[in-house]
Amino acid sequence: MSVSVNHPRWVPYFFLTPFLLCFGVFMVYPLVQSIWLSLLQTYGPEYTKFVGLDNFWHLLRDTEFHLAARNTLIYTLGSLFIQLPVALGLALLLNRPGLRGRTFFRLVFFAPSLVGLVFAAMMFALLFGAKAGLLNEMLRRVVPGFPPEFPWLQEYVMTSLIIASLWMYAGYNMIYFLAALQNVDPALGEAAQIDGAGAWHRFLHVTLPEIRPVAGFVTLLSIIGSLQLFELPFVLLDGAGPENRGLTLVMYLYQNGFERNDLGYASAIGWVLAVFLAGIALAQRRLIRE
Amino acid sequence: MTFLSPGAAVIISLAVLSSLGMWLKPAADWPGRKYWVFAAPHAEMYEPVIRAWNARHSPASQVRMGILSVPAMERRLLSGFLAGTPVPDLCEAEVSMAAKFFAGPVEAIGLVDLTERLKSEGLLDRINPPSFAPWSSRGRIFGIPHDVHPVLLAYRSDLVEEAGIDVSKIETWDDFVRAFSPLMTDKNGDGYPDRYLLNFWETNGAAIELLLMQAGGQLFDDHLQPQINSEINARVLATLAGWTAGPGRIAANAPNLNAEGNQMFIDGYVLCNLLPDWMAGVWLKDLPGLAGKIKLMPLPAWNPGGRRTSVSGGTMLSFPKAGGDFETNWEFARDLYLDPVLAEQLFLKGAIISPVMDNWTAPYYDTPNPYFCGQAIGRAYINVAPDVPMRTSSSYKTLAIARVTDALIRLKRRAEQGGVFDREVLLPMAREELAVAQSYIVDKMARNKFAEAAR
Repeated sequence: MSVSVNHPRWVPYFFLTPFLLCFGVFMVYPLVQSIWLSLLQTYGPEYTKFVGLDNFWHLLRDTEFHLAARNTLIYTLGSLFIQLPVALGLALLLNRPGLRGRTFFRLVFFAPSLVGLVFAAMMFALLFGAKAGLLNEMLRRVVPGFPPEFPWLQEYVMTSLIIASLWMYAGYNMIYFLAALQNVDPALGEAAQIDGAGAWHRFLHVTLPEIRPVAGFVTLLSIIGSLQLFELPFVLLDGAGPENRGLTLVMYLYQNGFERNDLGYASAIGWVLAVFLAGIALAQRRLIRE
Repeated sequence: MTFLSPGAAVIISLAVLSSLGMWLKPAADWPGRKYWVFAAPHAEMYEPVIRAWNARHSPASQVRMGILSVPAMERRLLSGFLAGTPVPDLCEAEVSMAAKFFAGPVEAIGLVDLTERLKSEGLLDRINPPSFAPWSSRGRIFGIPHDVHPVLLAYRSDLVEEAGIDVSKIETWDDFVRAFSPLMTDKNGDGYPDRYLLNFWETNGAAIELLLMQAGGQLFDDHLQPQINSEINARVLATLAGWTAGPGRIAANAPNLNAEGNQMFIDGYVLCNLLPDWMAGVWLKDLPGLAGKIKLMPLPAWNPGGRRTSVSGGTMLSFPKAGGDFETNWEFARDLYLDPVLAEQLFLKGAIISPVMDNWTAPYYDTPNPYFCGQAIGRAYINVAPDVPMRTSSSYKTLAIARVTDALIRLKRRAEQGGVFDREVLLPMAREELAVAQSYIVDKMARNKFAEAAR
């Protein structure tokens, strides 16, 4: 059966116009404008000087940018190699057959991700207090000879950030893993068990391949979230922290754009970050397909 | 056929009704002056003055105050100055904001230049001169100072006097360390002192700046050129490294305005604090547990006969260029900031010394304060007020403080790694570290295409 459509040619374009207008005004124009901005040095929007690719060349030798990239990378690796395995471990625990209170534990582990980042950062600032912080109080009771002051937020900035984000996001990622685990056909595991596979081999050769698409998705989300890290260190350290140990790429972008009013350099940083993120997303997509 | 679900119908009806309501009765725009402040206690003190002003003036000249947080006010003012978004007629800016306003070309400064007006009305002679420094750029003054904020040393008098220490004999920081060191005992036998002498840490940029200024060190000269790697700064840094590390460590990190830090003072874990007048006001309210246990003394000098105070924090009243009728704004500002009753309130409610020198003879400054063991703290702060150091208004100041802080952190690390804590041995290393900080700031300034104008 064929449906005859009899309307003027412009009608589809008419219906597309609202979307195209919004997309053009709020996506395309800012993107093009930010490319142009990245070729300028600015003091606010009114005072500008064309500098060509100088902002990008400067990024290559800007030690603060390198430090921000290094810190962001360390945090991202921490997220990948600590946070995701913990999330998967929690999901595996909650997926055990016959576990009582599964819903309760799921809520308990997931709840931290409902807390606002700024609130969590302020809470961890109290927790990591050098003298009377809760963490040090606990360690002092458990570890003999633990010093009366232990400066987490001065000396162990990245460790503190990774611990705080572990608390916040492990439960969130756990939910994805749990959903994936619950979709794994139990018959596969049983068959492997009959063939003599131990728990570790069943996990490695049955469970992991089955949850691979979800694991890939969670990994990508985690990488993107980590590369965009800003609020947590900004509030926890009241800025970039001593020796810029908590300086991240997005914080450096913010400092340049909104504290030093150089929107041009900030745009250049933003584009480098965007290209980097796009590269990671493409690589990850390819990896999952393989 | 149902055209809309009940839920959608309710939402759309509400949207239409509220839009109609707003269209028919738009919010009335305030016809008078808008005045932004960042501190609620300031606003509380200004209320009666503003009420009296409004009673005397027509609606167009009346003043309405709004309280904004420091970051919110900073962003809104900068947006107003640089992009023309709405700004108030008057605003009270905090010291950290001002330098950012002065970052670009002089014509980009969004505040009215008050230099000639202050001169012609004789206010330059009536207000403590160092108080103008943070609000001046390229020889022009852009604000009326609200305060002086001299710094004294607060100490736990109960513990110090019990140990028989006579603070009147202390003149320099070396004297201070020698006299107070007996208080750093380890009675609980955990291998660490039970008390530390001073609230200071190598990560506390504000305290480092305060101590550098006290010593006569500068981060920028009068022409806003960086002077970070000076000999004075190196000597101070070498001393500070020894205060925070090694066997001569005397300092602990008791953050101000923080519950943990406050508890460290109450417990006597830290005995002394660098206390500006406004912080004395905060302690009076927030730390009742220290009442009768605290006294003030001038800061020990870096050298015999040296400066016994420094400066910390500050506020100015300024006039955005885009604000309305300057003459009315100026008249209001004079009424407010030169009001002797307000100066009294400023001291009685916040322990803040007026920058207007005519007020310094007022009797309320001589009232003994039981919190500070009967000391007349007003007089104590006024005695050192004329000697507070000049501050820079360079827009690179915040960055410079951060890099000097980094220099001290690295210096301390080198001291710990080498097991060397003697000031004279650390001095060459301090020079090296400050040279790194200086070079960083020079590079940043050189890259700024607008820096020529900013200089």
